[in-house]
Amino acid sequence: MAVQLPLQFDLQSENNFDSFFPASNQELLEHLQRFIHDKQELQLYLWGETGLGKTHLLQACCQQAQHIGRQAFYLNLIDANPEILEGLDAIELVCLDNVDQIAGNADWEHALFNFYNRLREREHQLLLTASCPPRYLPFMLHDLKTRMSWGLTLKLKILSDAEMIAAFRLKAQSMGIEVPDRIARFLQQHYQRNLPGLWQLLDKIAQTTLMEKRKLSVAMIKRIIDQNGPN
Amino acid sequence: MSSIWSNCLKKLENEIPGADFSTWLRPLQAVEEGDTLKLLAPNRFIIEHVKQHFLPKLEDAVYEFSNGSLIIEFEIGSKKPTVQIQPKLSSNKTTGSAPSTVKKAPSNINRAFTFESFVEGKSNQLAKAASMQVSENIGKAYNPLFIYGSSGLGKTHLMHAIGNAVLEKNPSANVVYLHSERFVQDMVKALQQNTINTFKDYYRNVDILLMDDIQFLAGKERSQEEFFHTFNNLLDKKHQVVLTCDSYPKEIEGLEDRLKSRFGWGLPVAIEPPDLETRTAILIKKAQQQGIDLPQDVAFFIAKRIPSNVRDLEGALRRVIANHRFTGDEITIEFSKEALHDLISLQDKLVTIDNIQKTVADYFKIRVINLSSKSRKQSITRPRQIAMTLARELTSHSFPEIGDAFGGRDHTTVMNACKRINKLRESDVKVAEDYQNLLRMLSH
Repeated sequence: MAVQLPLQFDLQSENNFDSFFPASNQELLEHLQRFIHDKQELQLYLWGETGLGKTHLLQACCQQAQHIGRQAFYLNLIDANPEILEGLDAIELVCLDNVDQIAGNADWEHALFNFYNRLREREHQLLLTASCPPRYLPFMLHDLKTRMSWGLTLKLKILSDAEMIAAFRLKAQSMGIEVPDRIARFLQQHYQRNLPGLWQLLDKIAQTTLMEKRKLSVAMIKRIIDQNGPN
Repeated sequence: MSSIWSNCLKKLENEIPGADFSTWLRPLQAVEEGDTLKLLAPNRFIIEHVKQHFLPKLEDAVYEFSNGSLIIEFEIGSKKPTVQIQPKLSSNKTTGSAPSTVKKAPSNINRAFTFESFVEGKSNQLAKAASMQVSENIGKAYNPLFIYGSSGLGKTHLMHAIGNAVLEKNPSANVVYLHSERFVQDMVKALQQNTINTFKDYYRNVDILLMDDIQFLAGKERSQEEFFHTFNNLLDKKHQVVLTCDSYPKEIEGLEDRLKSRFGWGLPVAIEPPDLETRTAILIKKAQQQGIDLPQDVAFFIAKRIPSNVRDLEGALRRVIANHRFTGDEITIEFSKEALHDLISLQDKLVTIDNIQKTVADYFKIRVINLSSKSRKQSITRPRQIAMTLARELTSHSFPEIGDAFGGRDHTTVMNACKRINKLRESDVKVAEDYQNLLRMLSH
């Protein structure tokens, strides 16, 4: 049987507020929305463990700001060089992902410090994410560190097992995939407990169901996990 | 937005992965000029990235929606009018500009930072009094005024307050506030663009130069040289210079002696971390500025739990107010405790130097008393230096207080220890690892 080639699935394009499963983070979502719409606060620092959806939320904020006609720029500091910050202070809302990752890099810390000061002089907004609260950022530059705690600091709460599965179902649903109870139970018992891992699995599921034109089953999931590594 | 560009974006949104589209294409601004669609980007790195990854698709889209009538051109810039906060270094005027012809830039003074909005306490009253004096007697009272102290204690606020007070009395005064790194950057640009004379004219003709965080000139010899002349020029003309720094003039490492000496000519005044009463007053005032009547007992509770700098205090207050606005609940101690749960629970375990000393001694398997002893063995000095650095990072104690807690040592010993350890954390994996481990142990 000829196998149909799947379309390219890009889960990141789904990173909006509707596709984020709030669980116990409803209040946090409200704060983020206010931050973008009210423009009262200059800075918001969002932190939480890896895999909880910080990147998802940051991209959602950036996209929503753009949709209401604001200039916004998203940047993952893991992939970037400090020079990218040049001139970005002209943008109304700058979203910097994984700010903790540049700690200890003197060039980066200085560039971020200068950028921060310039952005604040212009009273433009800064949205940051990190895996720890501002106080524990291992920055060498003390002046940069104190600035990180200046604005509103919010913690992204961990999802329970049940919430994680519900999040998986929500995302799957947005891609037209139904996740029956037995599959949810299987994932809960056998698969890793972090969202990026689940999204990757979902990506593979989407491709496999489309290629094979079959509904999702436990056997199919087992096969996908065997082929791609479980955890 | 250009309608052609708007159509292009709609098309490209379906062709380019979402994250790439949001990051690289959405922030571009388009201007139609004749037969050109000019795409404006914040910097050359974004232009390069866009060209490298998306140019063919962009060209196709523009060709389609303009019926082949427009070609793409990239340019660094922004359509929105932005506040000019630095000298126009690309100006044609390269020599001998009279002060009146140099563009004035008053907008870099933050109007919110005034003497009225500054909360005075024992820790900062001298600095405030000196700043007020300076604003009333420009170039005569203390020149330069040198305000020093740790980060986040209100040095910048006082600088802006001076600027605002002067501008209130004389709106045409040429008051310039800038961070010292900006001075360096502007100078580098001026050298690159061959506009160094315009740069010099600009800074040497201001009435008041307010330069923040002067310690960032350390190690930058060419900038120090230029600043030295700017400084002398302004003082000769009896124009006012106000500087802030994280340490006393003579203790700034990497700064030429002649600058250190000049910085001490006027009045060096310190700002110390605020005491409990001042922190409480700061919270009440900051809340008032946001239209919130913060009860005294709540302010006292927060101030007690957040003993560090003013930025941390403001951050905590913002959290309480944000939660209040979200829930509509009354702000009480219980409410604040809940709102600040994350911050307070971490803070609780970290407030004492004793705790840090005990943890460090256990970690290195030495006795706590060794940390305060006179021993110079490396097996003792290294843990001692690490403990001092941790005390500096995790508590609000001043250098002298930390010195006292480590066997009555001088504050410069503590400062040197912090510098040494922070440097070693960059070059010595073992030290970096030990420090990170201890930081983790003390924060959980």
